[in-house]
Amino acid sequence: MNGPGWDGRQAQFQESGAPNWAAPPGQHAQYQQTPPGRPGPPQPFVSNAMQPQQPQPQQRPPTGQQQQQQQQQQASRAKLSQRKSTVQNLTRKQTNSGIIVANRTLDEETEDGRIRNREASTKIRDAWIYRQIRARSDEFTQYKQGRVFIGTWNVNAKGKDEDLSSWLCADWQTHGPPDVVVAGFQEMVDLNAVNVAVENKSQQRSQFWVDRIAATLNSRQNTLGDPMRTYVQLEAKYLVGLLVVVFVKAPHRSRVKYVHSNSVGVGVMGVMGNKGGVSVRLQFYDSTLCFICTHLAAHRENVAGRNADFANVYSKTSFDIGAEAVQEVIRLGSMSQWATGASSVGVSDHDQVFWFGDLNYRVDESIPTERVLELSKRNVLDELIEHDQLNIERAQGRVFQGFDEGALTFQPTYKYQPGTDLYEERPDKKLRAPAWCDRILWMAQEPGHVAQLNYTRSEVNFSDHKPVMSTFLVTIKDVILEQREHVYREVMKLLDMYENNSLPMVSLDRINLNFGEVRYDQRVTLPIVITNTGQVVAQFRLVPKGDDTDLCKPWLAVSPTYGMLIPGERMEIELTITIDNVTANKLNTSREVLDDVLILRLENGRDYYLSVSGTYARSCFGMSVEELVLYTDPIREVPLDPIERAEKYDLNTKAAMCVPKELWRIIDAIYEHGLDERDLFSGTSGDPDEVYQIRECLDTGAAFEDFSPHCAGGALSEHGDRCAEHTDVYSQVPGGHAADPIQRLHLRHIILPRGSHSSPDEQVVAREDCKDIVQLPGFKLPEFRGGVSELVESTPRQHAATLSPLPGDELDLSRLHRLDRM
Amino acid sequence: MSNSRVCHFKLVLLGDTAVGKSCLVVRFVRDEFFEFQEPTIGAAFLTQTVALDDATVKFEIWDTAGQERYRSLAPMYYRGAAAAIIVYDITNPDSFAGAKSWVKELQRRGDQNVVIAMLTGSESDLITRQAGNKADLEARRKVDFNEANDYAEENGILHMETSAKNANNVKSLFVEIAKKLPKAQQQPDREAFPILPQKQESRSCC
Repeated sequence: MNGPGWDGRQAQFQESGAPNWAAPPGQHAQYQQTPPGRPGPPQPFVSNAMQPQQPQPQQRPPTGQQQQQQQQQQASRAKLSQRKSTVQNLTRKQTNSGIIVANRTLDEETEDGRIRNREASTKIRDAWIYRQIRARSDEFTQYKQGRVFIGTWNVNAKGKDEDLSSWLCADWQTHGPPDVVVAGFQEMVDLNAVNVAVENKSQQRSQFWVDRIAATLNSRQNTLGDPMRTYVQLEAKYLVGLLVVVFVKAPHRSRVKYVHSNSVGVGVMGVMGNKGGVSVRLQFYDSTLCFICTHLAAHRENVAGRNADFANVYSKTSFDIGAEAVQEVIRLGSMSQWATGASSVGVSDHDQVFWFGDLNYRVDESIPTERVLELSKRNVLDELIEHDQLNIERAQGRVFQGFDEGALTFQPTYKYQPGTDLYEERPDKKLRAPAWCDRILWMAQEPGHVAQLNYTRSEVNFSDHKPVMSTFLVTIKDVILEQREHVYREVMKLLDMYENNSLPMVSLDRINLNFGEVRYDQRVTLPIVITNTGQVVAQFRLVPKGDDTDLCKPWLAVSPTYGMLIPGERMEIELTITIDNVTANKLNTSREVLDDVLILRLENGRDYYLSVSGTYARSCFGMSVEELVLYTDPIREVPLDPIERAEKYDLNTKAAMCVPKELWRIIDAIYEHGLDERDLFSGTSGDPDEVYQIRECLDTGAAFEDFSPHCAGGALSEHGDRCAEHTDVYSQVPGGHAADPIQRLHLRHIILPRGSHSSPDEQVVAREDCKDIVQLPGFKLPEFRGGVSELVESTPRQHAATLSPLPGDELDLSRLHRLDRM
Repeated sequence: MSNSRVCHFKLVLLGDTAVGKSCLVVRFVRDEFFEFQEPTIGAAFLTQTVALDDATVKFEIWDTAGQERYRSLAPMYYRGAAAAIIVYDITNPDSFAGAKSWVKELQRRGDQNVVIAMLTGSESDLITRQAGNKADLEARRKVDFNEANDYAEENGILHMETSAKNANNVKSLFVEIAKKLPKAQQQPDREAFPILPQKQESRSCC
């Protein structure tokens, strides 16, 4: 790439420019084409490193079913003792190493038998949030392009003051100085037993090389005395012969954070540092970069050993970057979704991974050593490339899964006669087939974000390896925090929306039920249609208010009081008001109003209030005689409100009638028309409609229409019964509790008229009559006998005039005689 | 986020009728505003997450009915709540008096866990719609900011004026509450299932 590099001034210049939210069009298309995620991590090599590797089936994350089984197993394990569980947990972790599972804790089984794992569900939720943010990263990310230089060199424990610029600065003329320089070394020291065990010399050599590189990068010739053109060392990590050192151009230093390094020995005994990897990870602007320099198992035939070393380094390399860094990286959308839940990250949890070093892969043994040598010298590479072990192993998916490598366009880099540009062919040395031991590979979460500009070798010749280097054009993310927060909020909002939508939801066709005018002994039913308008099964039930125990007032009935609806399903619940005597009595005395609130609760959801109201159409039924006698108007016209009532009526009991006009009217009507009726009070009530009509006439003062005396009898006995049940008013009226209603009728017609305006003689007669009636078999309850005579003796308090306004109810004493004759 | 706990908290909205409780919730949860928000007949339940730097707080919100006729049902919802938002309308002094009585009721009958009562002066929708601008609204203001603020301070509660219509302060209202909630205090049902201490994974070798 020609043109200016991303040097300090330009970096500043770019940053001062207007933010460019949108990704370059090409890039965006790339995201579309490239599904997020890469092939899974390489196989962990759990057995001895020297064993030939068995091909293993590709491990996959457990399927739903497997997971369920696993959970069930875990649940049953949970019942075991704590100690045992822990042991098993660890065992499980070991067997699962390489597969990142959602949880490290055991599942819990709740009392209702459900199995859950909060850690897992939190982590899975976080992973979803991460994916959403990542998918929208273009909205909050400003993409910048920079260049990363990677160099690797097996220096064969040599090196003095040779010029390194042909390795480190080879393409500066073409591309300009890179933004990040990473150099990896192998065999800084001889890999003898002393050096492997004691790292004294390694430290010296490491410092030597770091200084040499710094000197080369920051030479006067390169910096021109401008501090902004210098390189700053970020980190150097060594392990025996291995070294990785990372430099960044000074202007970028402030945008580098969370620099961590790690080393993994996989050599002798599987742990020693003669073979292994050293690595540095960092956050560069808002991209995460990881550089791994490795020296893998040697010997031409030991391909499996190299594969295993790779897998070991890959799986063992982890950086404890801390929770804060993890959290930040997740929010930047720069973290593998499976990395959450811990403060450490692995190789795959980076946007860009560069893996380089003396990987030691050779040309396959199917080509004789001499021929490899011949072709290498002649720079005829096609056949050698075809038989390159790394190429073969990668193609077979046995190593470096997910990594890319550029085409090999340079001659094999090993083994040279040190100090020359000749392959080692000296007779006293072992004849080796030249090989591309020294390689640079990369892996990018977004493949389009890493483009190799060149991949070549330097001819510096003091080692038996030639150094290899590559410059990459990398796309670096620079996140606009404000915008990122905006996306994060939106993602959370979306999640909340779904979580809210997964709450049960119903619609009610009405929540206010006005029953209108409700009459005595009338059942009025109103339905509510409840429809499940949500996306989940809805369970509803009526619940009592606060500390109440009843769902609603006694005059109200609901059916059903609970139910379940699948989405879209509907059902009716019926609310029925019934005014019985108790309620009527309370309503009449203003101790109750037809007004109630019911709470309909959705399980795991909201509450709905249902308001029920009605107006009681006042009736003489359910009213005490004492009260009835106070009103001359039809009872319906008497206000229920006590204050209004008091204003309208003189409630002085002296002004009261001696008998309720309603009682008088009905008895009179029966007396007039129904005395010949058989079984008048046989207990079978009349036609309900007609009874209702009679009641209405009594309550409204309207004249009776044609009625069957039977119904009137029914209404009367009902009146008596209902009143008597709850008030003891009728105990004052002889016969109120009479078993035989016909006796009551007699009694009343005897007593009432006489009681109202009879002469002393007549009173005596009436009293005697009453006594006679009371003596009848139906009047055997002794407590009424005295009551009768008392009442008879004490009457009249009133005169008949009070009754006279009622139409058709003119008191006719002649009727008395007829009664007497019965 | 990854390591931070998700803390669940029950939050209840209280206040007189038509002061804008539901508008506040709808603005917070859905970022919407309806000129004619139906009165809440019942108790609406919604959840909403607030991400703080160190924790994620998930509110389980009960939006109660403000009408006087349902007042006696309010204890069903503020019982056990970790936070309460008491809303009044800055153009309606009666609603401020109502808010005070809600504060008293909470102090008297609320759960000891009700650590936060947020007194929120809302701008009634009707007024903002008619007023159209802030200055006009100020002219219609009947509840002095300082008066409410002093009252809140005396009672050790937070105070903030919000507008559901222009989203002013709504987000910060909930964020402020989230910040005040005792996140160190583990949720009880979390304690019931302690996460096993993570064993230091020994590098298996030799």
